[in-house]
Amino acid sequence: MQTTSRRKFLGICLGGLAAAGTAATAYPLLSYLAPRSIDETGGKVTFPETEIPPDGAKIFDYRGTTGVVIRKQSGELVALSAICTHLGCIVQWENEKQNFLCPCHAGRFTPDGAVISGPPPKPLAKLPITVANGVVTVG
Amino acid sequence: MSPLKSIYHWLNVRLGVDELVEKRLTGYLLPRSINAWYSLGSVLLVIFGIQVVTGILLLIYYVPDAEKAFKSVTYIMNDVHFGWLIRMCHAVGSNMMVAVLLLHMLSALFMGSHKSPRELNWVTGFILFNLVLGISLTGYLLPWSQLSFWATTVATNSAGAIPVIGQYLVEFLRGGKLVGPHTLGRFFAVHVVLLPLVIGALIGAHLFLLERIGVSTPPFGQKETKSTWQGDEFRHESHPGGIPFFPNYLLQDVTSILIYLAIFFCVVFFSPYIFFPPTAFVPADPFKTPAHIKPEWYFLANYQTLKVFPSELLGLMVQGAAMTFLALIPFIDRGKERHPLKRPLFLACFIGGIILFIGMTIWGHYS
Repeated sequence: MQTTSRRKFLGICLGGLAAAGTAATAYPLLSYLAPRSIDETGGKVTFPETEIPPDGAKIFDYRGTTGVVIRKQSGELVALSAICTHLGCIVQWENEKQNFLCPCHAGRFTPDGAVISGPPPKPLAKLPITVANGVVTVG
Repeated sequence: MSPLKSIYHWLNVRLGVDELVEKRLTGYLLPRSINAWYSLGSVLLVIFGIQVVTGILLLIYYVPDAEKAFKSVTYIMNDVHFGWLIRMCHAVGSNMMVAVLLLHMLSALFMGSHKSPRELNWVTGFILFNLVLGISLTGYLLPWSQLSFWATTVATNSAGAIPVIGQYLVEFLRGGKLVGPHTLGRFFAVHVVLLPLVIGALIGAHLFLLERIGVSTPPFGQKETKSTWQGDEFRHESHPGGIPFFPNYLLQDVTSILIYLAIFFCVVFFSPYIFFPPTAFVPADPFKTPAHIKPEWYFLANYQTLKVFPSELLGLMVQGAAMTFLALIPFIDRGKERHPLKRPLFLACFIGGIILFIGMTIWGHYS
């Protein structure tokens, strides 16, 4: 009886040590592999208004993702997330059709990001945009 | 039957687990007089495993480009969570691997385990030792620091003393006349792909040979220490009445591994820069040689040997002869006696060799 309980005690101690060792290895390992945190609240993107082609779109890095700015025929600037809401491909601006095409599965969006056709379940996310003294600020 | 037992039974009828356990673990008998030195091979396997894992992890962030390598290492050290730990484990581990490998070889020599019929075990082990030195040398360049750059310049330059092909060999090693981006590319490929594969294969061969011929009996605590093998036919050395590998010797293996890890983590946590001189923290500058460039501690004896001889070629030849002698020692030292105290000439050479190595290392450090 005494031998059994001692064996059990040692087993529990060894198990505890093994668990502590595993945790001590796993925590730094997972931290090392975890993606670097990106500030998703701040971080505005600014660029001169002249960088937006008159008949095209400007695609840029935005807080770890991709954004796009287009000038509508009315002259109004629109900033949207360029990530297609279907499977995450980057949408392309088609100036002659005045809409966005996702080349992966032919999803189409209006210049304001609303879905026209294809599989995307949601519109493109709108991004806040301001223009002052010829400088565009997104975010 | 419990689910675990059911799974075990399912595997057992397909793989013969009971038989494997009996043959390889509980029924695998080792000499009763076996000692802790025999566990250094297991320690080395663990070290190699740690080197492979930390090496793969470093590859995630390391950039093998002369313009970006140093920056990427700095990023690993300063910005990646626990990046310093992974890199320190890899850098300290490489030094520890050489140290433990030296101890493993010295203990095998001291106990006469290299002797017939285990010549092939010694030769594969000796080649492994050289490959580990090679993988350490190639890894040394990768951080692209002043230390890496100039230590590699000096190390590769030594090959130039070889007659006829020397200069071509230097350029072949460097991928150009001088150490540069091409050197980094080839050292990187050799360090992360070629040498790990060759080392892994040779470890397999080393273990296969050990398994085929059997573990040697230590020469201590035995009335008769001479080998009785006649060399006429293959014979697996079994140890009837010996101690089982599991659980008895595995416990010794685990103890040695834990002692090693304790020492290893003491260095990593309390003295991580013991292997890093200040030049290791300065990016490589091909136009500015820093003062007092020295190789790693395990190359200091070679470095000093090159300096004491009037010609570099002579120094290289002496080292080549010494390494050839060590590689062929089981074919030269053919006496059947294995007890070191009954081999006075061997013992004198053994102790003399260690003193010479340590002496030259210290001299090299302070020269």
